[in-house]
Amino acid sequence: MKKLLLIVLLMSTTLFAQVEGGITVPYIDFPMKEGKGMYSTRGKCNMCHSWGYTLNQGLQSKKFWYDKVMKMIVVFKAPIKTQKDIDTVVNYLFENYGNGELE
Amino acid sequence: MQRRDFFKKAIVVAGSAAVGSSAIEAAETVHPIDNRKVSDIAFPEKRPLITYSDRPPLLESPREVFTSALTPNDLFFVRWHMPMIPNYINPNTFSISINGLVEKEIYVSLKELKTQFKQVALTAVLQCGGNSRTAFKPTAGGIQWGVGAMGCAKWKGVRLKDVLKKAGLKKEAAWIGFNGEDKAVYSETANFVRELKLEHLNDDIILAYEMNGEDLPYLNGYPLRLIIPGVYSDSWIKMISNITATKEKQQLHFMEKAYRIPDNECECETPENLVKKTKPIEEMNVNSIIGYPVTGTKVRNASSLVVRGVAFDGGHGIEKVEISIDGGQLWEDALLDDGSEGKFAYRAFTYAFKPKNSGKLTIMCKATNKKGETQPFAKDIKWNHGGYKYNGIDEVTVEVV
Repeated sequence: MKKLLLIVLLMSTTLFAQVEGGITVPYIDFPMKEGKGMYSTRGKCNMCHSWGYTLNQGLQSKKFWYDKVMKMIVVFKAPIKTQKDIDTVVNYLFENYGNGELE
Repeated sequence: MQRRDFFKKAIVVAGSAAVGSSAIEAAETVHPIDNRKVSDIAFPEKRPLITYSDRPPLLESPREVFTSALTPNDLFFVRWHMPMIPNYINPNTFSISINGLVEKEIYVSLKELKTQFKQVALTAVLQCGGNSRTAFKPTAGGIQWGVGAMGCAKWKGVRLKDVLKKAGLKKEAAWIGFNGEDKAVYSETANFVRELKLEHLNDDIILAYEMNGEDLPYLNGYPLRLIIPGVYSDSWIKMISNITATKEKQQLHFMEKAYRIPDNECECETPENLVKKTKPIEEMNVNSIIGYPVTGTKVRNASSLVVRGVAFDGGHGIEKVEISIDGGQLWEDALLDDGSEGKFAYRAFTYAFKPKNSGKLTIMCKATNKKGETQPFAKDIKWNHGGYKYNGIDEVTVEVV
């Protein structure tokens, strides 16, 4: 309890922690699994967000990945233009980050 | 084909916070993943945290953080939706615009916020609606958080109400939209805009520029963010730079599709039978987390062990926190702090006892709020497709030696 009180007291004094001249967010490498369509998928997904954002969705069904790709196209305007490109990305995701379920 | 056959496939881990620690998918809800390590790379103004993504930054606090009523800024979790975040904001030129259905469109600078409005402070829990999502089986969509997508801070700023008043809302205004400075890579992509129904506006909703006595860290929304105590953090817009009043609700992906749960009594559904009618996640469920000890801690037999943790709810207030060391049969009250931080803050709790037998010992905690709502066992939490609002009874397992 005393420790808690001390922390609270320390926090109530005003500090100015703002960093001079802004910040730099570090680059973190999230390796992609080797597989058919990896390079195409990398080009289409990773230009907007890290691979971590994708792989940390968990292992998912084919429908989940298809719906996600469509959301990226429709809502977020991802430049995935052709059905062939959609299939390539969805298949890569499902084969490497799938849970085995189609739906 | 049998479901579990699929899971015999090797799961290759990748990245600093990889998924897939469980190879068998159970039908019922489990405890969230609890063994993730912090990254070896620290983000700006942060200590190293569990790292899910750098673009946009997604960082989770490790369990050990949840022993005190306030979460230190440099251990506070981070969740952005858009990858392009300004890496420099000049506090001398920054201002927020208020427009739409207002008498006069105005810009309010940071300095004006700090000098021309009533300054208010309140302590409130900021928690992602998907906190502990890894508990849900089958895996729910979204970032696979453990227990640490939450924190509690003392926020200082001005009332949203007062800022709106300065612009003067027109009579027909019914919705208030909030937009921040984060952007998508493509200019065609809509921004992460959230809306509040005007009738839900209250004195506790503030525009905060200070967090625990310091400027907000960049990654927590410097220089200004919205604070909406008691509700999940999906509308607590960071780096907020515009407020727009409208008559009709805007059609926004992040309002219409994201952060919604089944609109039924149990707020639940099954993967085979998704519920069509949905509602926003809104008020936070009563919840509690043990910050110490963590699973795997070795403690001495017969020596005094002090369990520490935090409890909170959506603003009704915590009535009690109970601890069980026999698998949830017998429950004993933990000691709560004085609650002086208010009804939206963590209540820190402690529970001291002496382990009597050597071997593995599981410690559980369960909070009950003043409304009488309490936490279910993890297995009794019902599934929803977004993996939202998990509040299962927390547990850690120590080794008594």
